[in-house]
Amino acid sequence: MSAPVVVSNLAKTFYDEGRGQIKAVDSISFECHEGQIFGLLGANGAGKTTTLRMLSTILTPTAGTASIMGHDVVKDPEGVRKNLGFYSATTALYPRLTTRETIEFFARINQYPSERVPERVEYLINRFGLHKYADARIEKLSSGMKQKVSIARTVAHNPAILIFDEPTVGLDVLNALDVQETISELRSEGKTIIFSTHIMSEAERLCDRIAIIHGGRILASNTLAGLRESTGQHYLEDIFVLYVKAGLETV
Amino acid sequence: MNGSVLRILFLHELKMLVRARRTVVMAIVLPAVIMPLMLYAQKYSADRRERLLTGTVYRFAVSGESADRIRRLINQTRRSIDLEQGEEVESLRQFRFVEATVVDARASLDKDDIQFYLEAAGPTVDVVYRGDRIGSDMAHSRMMQLLRLARQRDSQALLADRGFAADPKGIFAATESNIATNGQVTGSMVGRFITLFLVMMLFTGGAVAAMDIIAGEKERGTLETLLTTAAGRPEIVAAKQLAITSVAIVITLMQGLNFLIYIKLKVVALPKNFDLQLPTGMALTLLVLFIPLAATIASVLLMISAYAKTYKEAQMYFFPVYLVSLVPALASVMPGISLRSAIAFVPLANVSVAAREILMGRPDAIMIVVTFGVMAATATYLMRTSARLLGREDIIVRAHSEPAEFIGGAALFEKRVLRWFALMWVVTFAVAMNVPSLATFRRQLLFNEVAVMVGATLLMLWVYRLNAKEALSLRPVKPVVWLAILFAIPSGNLTALGIFQLVNKVIPAPQQLLERFAQDVIPKGMPQWQLLLYIAVLPAICEELAFRGMLLSGLRRKFRPVALIIGIGLIFGLFHVTLYRIAPTAALGMILTAIAMMTGSVFPGMLLHAGNNALSVLTGNLYSLDVVRWWHFLAAFTIFALSLWLIYRNRVGTFSPQRH
Repeated sequence: MSAPVVVSNLAKTFYDEGRGQIKAVDSISFECHEGQIFGLLGANGAGKTTTLRMLSTILTPTAGTASIMGHDVVKDPEGVRKNLGFYSATTALYPRLTTRETIEFFARINQYPSERVPERVEYLINRFGLHKYADARIEKLSSGMKQKVSIARTVAHNPAILIFDEPTVGLDVLNALDVQETISELRSEGKTIIFSTHIMSEAERLCDRIAIIHGGRILASNTLAGLRESTGQHYLEDIFVLYVKAGLETV
Repeated sequence: MNGSVLRILFLHELKMLVRARRTVVMAIVLPAVIMPLMLYAQKYSADRRERLLTGTVYRFAVSGESADRIRRLINQTRRSIDLEQGEEVESLRQFRFVEATVVDARASLDKDDIQFYLEAAGPTVDVVYRGDRIGSDMAHSRMMQLLRLARQRDSQALLADRGFAADPKGIFAATESNIATNGQVTGSMVGRFITLFLVMMLFTGGAVAAMDIIAGEKERGTLETLLTTAAGRPEIVAAKQLAITSVAIVITLMQGLNFLIYIKLKVVALPKNFDLQLPTGMALTLLVLFIPLAATIASVLLMISAYAKTYKEAQMYFFPVYLVSLVPALASVMPGISLRSAIAFVPLANVSVAAREILMGRPDAIMIVVTFGVMAATATYLMRTSARLLGREDIIVRAHSEPAEFIGGAALFEKRVLRWFALMWVVTFAVAMNVPSLATFRRQLLFNEVAVMVGATLLMLWVYRLNAKEALSLRPVKPVVWLAILFAIPSGNLTALGIFQLVNKVIPAPQQLLERFAQDVIPKGMPQWQLLLYIAVLPAICEELAFRGMLLSGLRRKFRPVALIIGIGLIFGLFHVTLYRIAPTAALGMILTAIAMMTGSVFPGMLLHAGNNALSVLTGNLYSLDVVRWWHFLAAFTIFALSLWLIYRNRVGTFSPQRH
């Protein structure tokens, strides 16, 4: 049986007025296995978000293929999105909906079985500790609470695959830890998670496999132990710098 | 299309709108409250003005050598109108004029002691007043009215005094009889403006929801969230479109209802004899047209919202689009336009004219169906375009992912060439046919051929940085091709005539149409050399550069040879204005395209085009059907086919096997 997420030679080229042709993602391949967190570790502009946007079908690949639960991102985008929860710092919530309405709306729109929606909404409100704010409008919530609601709406339809694109950006330490804990719990529930970050400690703590991405290319992909073994370095930061420098030298 | 997803999204959109309290108050509640206040204020001000004007005593003075005569005339006329009936005398009777005795009339007028004075010198009376004072202006116009009446009566009295036998009033009496019922007059009046009114209401009402519905979502980041859900883009767009349509219809109905209430309360006065008769059938027919109208307007608004990157940008686009959309809605106001014409294919204008005809009691069932179809197709097309805009990646990322858009040049030209020709077609029709200074044959031809065809060709070469030699296929050809073309000119012309004769036997063309054709193509009274220049040389050069040069080079990589020949031929035909010229010009266009593709050059086509047109000019009456015998036709056809075969045998262009 093939992995839930299979990415093969995926590429994306942009054309920018100032910078000309940019290979944002340059023929990358990886697989994510069930119940694991796959980390995309890279600096800003490395190609993490573009990769994840291609997986969520918002962007169309220039070349290569990718599939989510057997659905091709180009040929069957709706099939992909049904099985996917996508979270990023740029995916905002509707300010005039309440917490409860938000979760309900996203469950229904993602075609979660209609009769089970109320039960699912209540479960998620309890699961994320949102009861106090269940009937408050999103515009009245603090950033930390909004983050929780965002995660709740991402998993509203109980998808098998979750994508978290730099979920802790802009959060304070406590809220960031809270988000990390939630992601870890979701893995325990059997979800397959793709997690992108530029924070080394997050990747160390959460990811089962880490792919170091730089300049649109994956320079290394292994477990943390495997990366340590192949580089002889202990800290992920050192490993990352080593690969990036080696990558640049190769270039 | 998933109905359940569509319903969820639609209700979601409405919920979002209703919860935007400020928007609801500013866009729906406030206008509903302000409108009666405005109307009441307007009525109050009009009533007060009338009261003031009729309640005031207007003082005036009379000076000059004929003052006494004028005084006498005015008094006589005022006495006589007290005994008469009628609108004119009624308004004059309400005015109270009192003559004042003043020393210096001009100074008194300046000080506002009097409202005007009459300077009576000889046969002329000059009414002197101050146009900057309402009282003076009003009083002077009523005095002018009174003086005109006085003059008329004085002339009649004079005629009677001099022994004119008949009653002067009965010399020439003009009366009027309107055989239209009040209902018909009202229907005609309402029909002229109802679509315009609806377009205004639907646009402003729909804009309340539309500006925020995509542009606002882009700005807030919720669009990206929505696009990552399982909802398809068609469902997202359809729900948004439905929401705009619903809001537009509800606001329009509310405003309409509001208006009816004020009419009932007599705050708004209806015109005299207003009697709108709207039987159920008529109302339903109007509804059938107004629903796609609302949908089309909603789609236009949706497109603005989808195209704009921010809410502010969407608001910026709204006003010009709104103004442009009002223009076709004015079609019903223009006299002489009937739905049974090309207007049925112009969105908004067709509904406007159809509504007028329905309300006048002259509905044209077939054309109403055509109108409905055109409007429904327009709404669908605009909706699909909005869905495509929603699929554009620059909504999410700033850079282009389409190389043609970024690199420009030939790649972008190939994508845009059809849009250019669509624009050229619109300019040919809209400008050349409606600008009075281009109305003559020569000017229209010069405009179409030089400004539109060559102008657009040069502009495309410049904008897309194209190599003129390549793009226009300016290549030399083998001598044998020239020989073939020389044979093809007369034989082709004769073949066309033969085909025409053959077709005419099956479907006879009306004689009137044939005469019109000849008259359109060959205007009378022009010197032969000018005819050849304008009909043969100019179109051959300009049209070949545009169609077999630019259009062919823009499309040749996208389509197969046969599709190219048919497509370019049809487009060429569509540029030849009148319906009955499309078919023969399209056929000529197809042959010219095939030759350009076989020879890889635009020049042989130019010669054939010029030769064919020149022959038509020289042989005079092009379609005298008794000229051609069957064996003439057969010989011509054989020579023409052989010429084309010769060109094919010496092909170098797209048909060449080396290229494929």
